[in-house]
Amino acid sequence: MLKPPFLSCAIAFTSLAFADAPRTALKPISFTEYDLPNGLHVILHENHAAPVVSSYVLYHVGSKNERPDRTGFAHFFEHLMFEGSDNIKRGTIDKLVSGAGGNLNASTGFDKTDYFLNLPSNQLKLALWIESERMMHNRIDETGVETQRKVVKEERSMRYDNQPYGSLFEKLVGFALKDTPYAWTPIGSVQYIDQAKIEEFRDFWKTYYVPNNATLAIAGDINIEETKKLVADYFSAIPKGAEPPRPTIALDKIAPSGPQKLVVKEDKTPLNASLHVWHACSERDPDAYALDMLANILASGRSSRLYRRLVDKEQVALNAEAFPELFELTGVVGVFATGIAGVPLEKLDALMTEEVEKVKAEGVTEDEFAKAMNQKESEIANSNGSMLSRAKNLANAHVFEGGTDEVNKQLDHYLKVKREDLQHVAKKYFSAEKVYVLHYPAAEPKGGEAK
Amino acid sequence: MRRFLPILLSTFIVTAHAEVDRTKKPEPGPAPEAAFPDYVTKELPNGLKVFVIEDDRKPTVTMRLVIKAGDVLDGDKSGIAGFVASLLNRGTTTHDALSFAKIVDSLGATLEAASGADSISVSTSGLTKITDPLLDLFADAVMHPVFAQEEFAKAQKRTFSSLTAQKKEPHALVGKLMSSTLFGEHPYGKFTTPESVKAITRDDLVKYHTTWFAPNNASLAIVGDVKAADILPKIEKALGGWEKKDVPMIKKAAVTPATGLTIHLLDLPGSVQSNVIVCRNGPSRAEATDLPEVNVMNSILGGGFSGRLFQNLREKHGYTYGSSSAFGYNKEAGYFQATAETRNDVTAPAINEILGELNRIMTEPVADPELELQRQYNIGNYLLSLESAGRVASRVQDIWLYGLAPDFYKTYAKRMAAVTPAKVQELAKKYLSTKDTAIVVVGDAKQVRESLEKIGKVVLYDTDLKVVK
Repeated sequence: MLKPPFLSCAIAFTSLAFADAPRTALKPISFTEYDLPNGLHVILHENHAAPVVSSYVLYHVGSKNERPDRTGFAHFFEHLMFEGSDNIKRGTIDKLVSGAGGNLNASTGFDKTDYFLNLPSNQLKLALWIESERMMHNRIDETGVETQRKVVKEERSMRYDNQPYGSLFEKLVGFALKDTPYAWTPIGSVQYIDQAKIEEFRDFWKTYYVPNNATLAIAGDINIEETKKLVADYFSAIPKGAEPPRPTIALDKIAPSGPQKLVVKEDKTPLNASLHVWHACSERDPDAYALDMLANILASGRSSRLYRRLVDKEQVALNAEAFPELFELTGVVGVFATGIAGVPLEKLDALMTEEVEKVKAEGVTEDEFAKAMNQKESEIANSNGSMLSRAKNLANAHVFEGGTDEVNKQLDHYLKVKREDLQHVAKKYFSAEKVYVLHYPAAEPKGGEAK
Repeated sequence: MRRFLPILLSTFIVTAHAEVDRTKKPEPGPAPEAAFPDYVTKELPNGLKVFVIEDDRKPTVTMRLVIKAGDVLDGDKSGIAGFVASLLNRGTTTHDALSFAKIVDSLGATLEAASGADSISVSTSGLTKITDPLLDLFADAVMHPVFAQEEFAKAQKRTFSSLTAQKKEPHALVGKLMSSTLFGEHPYGKFTTPESVKAITRDDLVKYHTTWFAPNNASLAIVGDVKAADILPKIEKALGGWEKKDVPMIKKAAVTPATGLTIHLLDLPGSVQSNVIVCRNGPSRAEATDLPEVNVMNSILGGGFSGRLFQNLREKHGYTYGSSSAFGYNKEAGYFQATAETRNDVTAPAINEILGELNRIMTEPVADPELELQRQYNIGNYLLSLESAGRVASRVQDIWLYGLAPDFYKTYAKRMAAVTPAKVQELAKKYLSTKDTAIVVVGDAKQVRESLEKIGKVVLYDTDLKVVK
């Protein structure tokens, strides 16, 4: 079967009819929430679609709470939370969960550290026991600390030091957010973990791992009233702690005096890559939604501006991305491209700058705006599938978004954004005078032996 | 995204609470049964198998078409199937690449294809309200791609650069080296190179598509907030006109299992870690009749955080962030692998620990509590996985792709529950070895070669996977 010749005459914008389709009625996530007297915030979501339960504990502490000479602390502590407690023998948390047919993990970010357990629903009590034990009397001993020091070094090597562009995010925040508690990434520096004494880890736990700094979300095949009782049984005895310190940022002090540039030379860099970054707003700023939609128009999908220009039309880039990375207290927005072998960094820079300047000067079209709105609608509809994602989204909405019910209001916020707002935020943040440029030059100057 | 709102908490303070015995693990309630969800199966007159899995938790629909084809059918020019897949959504007889992309993006949808060893899959996902237009686009991409020369040339150019990048990526290199070590001249041992990419022409893509893309050589799974009775007529309308045709029989190529213990070391100077895979040939998916039992055996050795490899290499020795093992099953052959990423100076000790654990599971009967833990781990995590309708769909399509017994997943949990210590040891001896085992390492040869030579013969490779004399 032979194919007819390529049709060069495009049928453009056939999608407009769908762009005007009514918004999907998203199914709201129901929940019950309350505080225990010790300040632990509890959120319960009942859903019997499958006989599973997910528990998610969020501690409002991340790498931004660390001292600059103790980076990596929050993440290291996350590892120590798997060690054991007064009633759970060292090294058995994994086995308790595996043996109950479940799985577990944890993560550390700039603003939070979170722990999750997925279990068959008959094992709810096990989740409550483990999470209350490590909140109540986590055990930190020398053996565990020494082993995890080694493990965390290997984690750092595996994820960052041994990967092409693995240092990108670390360089980015160190450069664009210097003099703020966001100037280092959660993995931190190996030397500081080595220098820290065991008492410092114990103090960290006492300061931040208190019930009044934690949110417990449980989603799945549970009965709300029974679960409330069980939560009280396991968590009420934990004493309330002092209010943990909250870092602040003097944003006016970190504004750059002019365009800044950093060249990162590494032998493992295979292709030229360029990143342009600007200071942006925090995650709860009203600009956040417009900025997010703007990033979609710049680089989400093959009809996006940067993809069309750099990857498709000019064929100078392997990929192109745009992202807002917004934190609790501040944020950055950036555009990024990896070059085709042999394409100079200046070429990537010129095209990225041209596209950014264009959106500042002309704004976005009606079609682009409708497209970004549809993409957001899909994204939001997809975000609350599994019980773990529901527990996670509920807890994060409570801590970082101003209220648990924000899980059900995501789309409303985007629907309030107007097309002009996108040009407005482009002008406001993409200042040619305040750009931070990061270059990763390819290690081999010719770059293209695979011709 | 986030925005401020006054906090109106429905505060509920619980006051009365009973004391619990914190010193003991709480007893679980009765275990729920891992029941494989119901789904609807239909075969269209043109031979297309259709599976519908209803899931109303999200107002979305996902469709995934699997074609029995894949990289295994590339012939001399590795990469053909990959280009066919990557060009399906880059131009059809009614939409050029840009207009196709604009429609997909405007719908807020995704539509992508990918090639694997034994199949090409085409997937699309979006809100249920756009099911009709999405289905039209999907059918268009599957049935009427044009493989425009211009788009093919662009894809080739990107691939040359991706291949350049891969020469610095330890994960990409170690995967290629393992495949070529275990499968040699079999298509599973081949990979795309600049030469093979240069040799491919547009005609190769057209021919591949014409030969293998047929409804009677494909299955389609639909997952989402849809009713089978509503969606099936739509599928029939969109894909019913896809013409049935004769698909050539695929002749399996032979695999000569790697024997002896050889260390294949790919030199990536400047590496601060070694990527290690201890591996050997294994059964194909159809040959793996004892797969549920093997899962339990493997998980004792290297499954999850409680597996022996993780406990030994990470928790005891601090050699690595993670270490695990797995069996991989393709249509014509399979493999076993145990992996770790370790700092240079413990590369050899880490390999010795892996070999030690292989030896231990083959020679020592597993104690009951450890076996019971791993039985429960496998059964429970299987139950948890059934929460995802997408996973259910891919399992249903695997039954079709690999020709498995239709009730395979109905007996799966029961079989894992019945594994005994004797069975574990029998399977370990059957599938594992410390003698006929290949050890694949990507790392800095200057740092690790000498210590590796104490374990076995070392063959050195460069980043083009050529042997260095």
